[in-house]
Amino acid sequence: MTFELFFEQLLNGVQLGVMLFLLAAGLTLVLGIMNMVNLAHGSLYMIGAYFAITVTQWSGSYLLGVLAGLAGTLVVGMAVEGIALRTLYERDHLDHVLATFGLILFFNELVAILWGRFALFASLPSYLQGHLALFGDVRYPLYRAVVIVVGLLVAVLLWYMVTRTRLGMLIRAGASNRTMVAALGINIRLLYTVVFGFGAALAGLAGLMAGQIYTVQPGMGELILIQVFVVIVIGGIGSVRGALVGALIVGIVDTMGRAFLKPLLSTLLSTYAADTAGPALASMLIYLLMALVLALRPAGLFPARG
Amino acid sequence: MRRYLFWGAVILLLAALPPLAMALGKGFYIDLVRRIMIFGIAAISLNLILGYGGMVSFGHAAYLGVGGYAVAIFAFYGFNNGFLQWGVAIAGSALVALAIGAVSIRTSGIYFIMITLAFTQMLYYLGISIEEYGGDDGIRLKTRSQFPLVDLADGVQFYYVVLLLMLGAVYLTHRIVNSRFGMVLRATKSNEARSRAIGFSPYPYRLAAFVIAGAMGGLAGALLANHTNYLTPDFMHWTRSGEIMFMVILGGMATSAGPLLGASAFLLLEDVLSGWTEHWQVILGPLLVLSVLFFKRGLAGLLAKHD
Amino acid sequence: MTEALLEVRDLRKSFGALRASDGITFDVSRGETHAIIGPNGAGKTTFISQLAGNLRPDSGRIVFAGEDITGLPAPRRARLGLARSFQITSVYPEFTALQNVALAVQARSGRTGFWRDARSDSSLTEPARHVLEQVGLRERSHVLAANLAHGEQRQLEVAMALATRPRLLLLDEPMAGMGIEESQRMIELLASLKGEQTIILVEHDMDAVFQLADRISVLLYGRVIATGRPEEVRANPDVRAAYLGEDS
Repeated sequence: MTFELFFEQLLNGVQLGVMLFLLAAGLTLVLGIMNMVNLAHGSLYMIGAYFAITVTQWSGSYLLGVLAGLAGTLVVGMAVEGIALRTLYERDHLDHVLATFGLILFFNELVAILWGRFALFASLPSYLQGHLALFGDVRYPLYRAVVIVVGLLVAVLLWYMVTRTRLGMLIRAGASNRTMVAALGINIRLLYTVVFGFGAALAGLAGLMAGQIYTVQPGMGELILIQVFVVIVIGGIGSVRGALVGALIVGIVDTMGRAFLKPLLSTLLSTYAADTAGPALASMLIYLLMALVLALRPAGLFPARG
Repeated sequence: MRRYLFWGAVILLLAALPPLAMALGKGFYIDLVRRIMIFGIAAISLNLILGYGGMVSFGHAAYLGVGGYAVAIFAFYGFNNGFLQWGVAIAGSALVALAIGAVSIRTSGIYFIMITLAFTQMLYYLGISIEEYGGDDGIRLKTRSQFPLVDLADGVQFYYVVLLLMLGAVYLTHRIVNSRFGMVLRATKSNEARSRAIGFSPYPYRLAAFVIAGAMGGLAGALLANHTNYLTPDFMHWTRSGEIMFMVILGGMATSAGPLLGASAFLLLEDVLSGWTEHWQVILGPLLVLSVLFFKRGLAGLLAKHD
Repeated sequence: MTEALLEVRDLRKSFGALRASDGITFDVSRGETHAIIGPNGAGKTTFISQLAGNLRPDSGRIVFAGEDITGLPAPRRARLGLARSFQITSVYPEFTALQNVALAVQARSGRTGFWRDARSDSSLTEPARHVLEQVGLRERSHVLAANLAHGEQRQLEVAMALATRPRLLLLDEPMAGMGIEESQRMIELLASLKGEQTIILVEHDMDAVFQLADRISVLLYGRVIATGRPEEVRANPDVRAAYLGEDS
C-alpha cells in the first residue's frame, strides 16, 4: 500500500461523502420538517443524471446538460410534491413508505421505457478531463476533484443559508418543532414546497455529477439511497451538519474499507479467507458503524430535536 | 360464524385445487397457488409485527433470504435432511431477527424504517459478495429438502405440505394475537403512552414479536427456495420487502384473512400485468400509490363490510 | 403519625430559560387526598410528568414508599404501584371498556402467555368487571372505548388506573371537559376512594378540590407557594392574590 494509493482512496472517500451529503441534506430536511419518509428521493437523483446526459448528448453542450439536470429535477420534484405527496403529510409513516415505494417502481420503469434498461454512458467535456497534479507523485482525476469542490461549496452555502438567513431560521425551527412554526402563522405549505424543491435540486445536482462516475441505469437511485439513510441515521434527522459529518464518515469508511480491508486481512489470515471475508466485511462496514452509533447515540450524532 | 364459513371455504378450495387442476390439464395452477401460499406465510409473519404491532419493518425480506440460503447452503454441501435445513432456516432467521431487532427496536418512527432497510441491504450485499454460494448469480438447489413420508420433489405433495404449513401459520398467529402477549402488542400499537403508564415496557414485547415474525419468515424462505429450486440474493432485496408489505396492506392489516388475500391479489395482479407488458411495474407503481391513498382497509375490510 | 408515601425534594426542571419546576418540595401521606392547584402555566403538567416518569428532572429527588424512583422510567413506576390518569383522554379506542381495564389488570398480574385467549380469561375479566362496577361503567363494558361519551372515557381513565391496584393515584384533571352531572359523579367516585387510596389530584374544578382534598398545595411559577388544609389555603393572602383572588 503506497501513500499515493492511500491518499487517492481517501479523496475518493471524500468525493463519495460529498455526493452522499448532497442527497442527505435534502432528505434529512424533508424528514425533519415534514416528517415524511421519501423513498423516491433516489428517483430524483436518477432523473438528474438522465436529463443531464440526454441534453448534453443532444445539444453537445455540457453546461446545457447541467442546467437541464437541475431544472428538470426541480420541476419533477415540485410536481411530485404537489400531485402525490401533499396529501400524505397528515398520514403516518407507513403510508409515506408505501406511496413513495410505488413512485420508485413507477419512475424506474418509466426511465426503462424511455431510455432502455442498459447503462447510459456520458462523456466529459475536454476541460474536465485529465488529472490534477497534487503534491509529490499524487495525481487525482480532475473531474472528481471538481465534484469535491462543488460539494463543499454547496455545504458552505447551505451552512450560510441555514444559520444566517430567515429562511434558514424557519427551516431549523421547523426541524425541531413543526407545530410551533405552523402555530406562529408561517405559511407552512410554502415552506414545505420550498424545502422539498431545494432537496430535489440537490438530488439532481448529485445525479448529474454522478453520471460520469457511477453507472447510469434504472434503479441507480436505490443503490445510493440506502447509504444516504445510513448517513442520516448516523448524523441525526433534520440536521444539515449531521448530514455533512455523517456523509464524510460513511463515504470515507466505505471507500477505504473496500480498498484496504482485503489486503489488511490477508496480512492476518490466509489469502483464501481474506478473499472471501474481505469483500463481505467491507460491504457490511458502514452498517456495522451505524449499529455502533445507534447503540451509543440512538438519535444520531447531531439530532435537530432536543 | 362467518369466520368459520370463510376459512372452511378456503380450505376446501385450496385442498381441491390440485386434483381439479390436473383434471383440467392446467397443472401450472398448482405451482402458482403454491407460490401464493408461500408468500402468504411471509405476509402472515409480517402482519404480526406490522399489522398488529405497528412496526414498519422494511427489512422483512431478509428472513426469506436467510431461510432460503440455509436450505441452499446445506444442499450445496450435500446435507439434504429437511429437518436440519428447515430447522436451521427457522432458528437462523430468529437469531438474525434478534440481532437486528435488539438494535432497531430501541428506535422508532422514521429511524426504525431506515434502520431495518439498511440492515436488510447489508445482508443482501453479504449474499452478493460470497462468491462461494453463487454471489450475484445465485445458487441452484440440486434436490429439494428431504423428509420421511413425503417427497417434496412431487409438486402435489409439496403443495399439500405448504397448505398445511400455511394453515398452521394462520392458526398460530391467531392464537398469539389474542393471547396476553398479543393483547399487549396490539395495545402498544394503539396507544404506547397508555401502555407504559399501566406498566408495560414496549421493548420486550416488540422484540419477541419481531423474532417470531423473523422465524416464520425464515420458514417461508426455506419453502420458497424449494419451490423455485433456485435462490438469488434478490430474495433479500429491499424491494421484496416492499412487495410483502403491500400484500399485507392490500389484504387488510391486523386481520387473519388479510395476508392470504393480499398475497393472492398481488401475485395474481403481477401475473396478469406482466402478461400484458414487460413494463408492468409502471402500472403497478401508481396502482400501489392509489391503493394506499384510497384503499387502506384492504380486501378483508371489504369482505367485513358485507356483513 | 402517617408516614409519607411520596416525598419530593427540591425538584427542578428548566426548558431553556423557562424554569418550569423551580425547587418543588412536597409530601403526600398514606391515605391522603392531596390536591394540586395553580393557574395555567404554573408548571402542574411538568410536575405530574416528572412524578409519573415521563420527564427527567434536572435535579432533585422523588422518593416513593422509601424507594428513590427519580431515575426510573414510567413502566417501572407503574409496576411499583404509581398509577396515573391523563389530562387528555388516553385509552385504547378500538378495544372495549372491559378490554381496556383487563389490560390494566394484566399489567398488574405480571404474567404473560402466548396461547391462551386473553379475552376469555376470567382472571383478567372478573377483576376488570369489578373495577368497572366501581366506577359506574358496568353497563358499558362491551362498548368500544371510542364510542363512549366523553365523561365515560374520563371514568375509564380512572378505572384503568384503579385496576393496577395502585398505592398512589396520580389523577391529572379527571374532570376535564365534563358537564355538571358528570363532574358530580366523578366527585362521588373519588370520595368513595378517599382513605383507602392515596390520591394526588390536579384539578381546576374548585368545588371538587374543596370537597375532596385533605390538603392542598398551590403551584405558581414552578414553586409551591402554600400547602395546608383547604381552609388554611383559602385564607392564605398570597394564594388569594395570585390565584383565587381573580376568581372570587
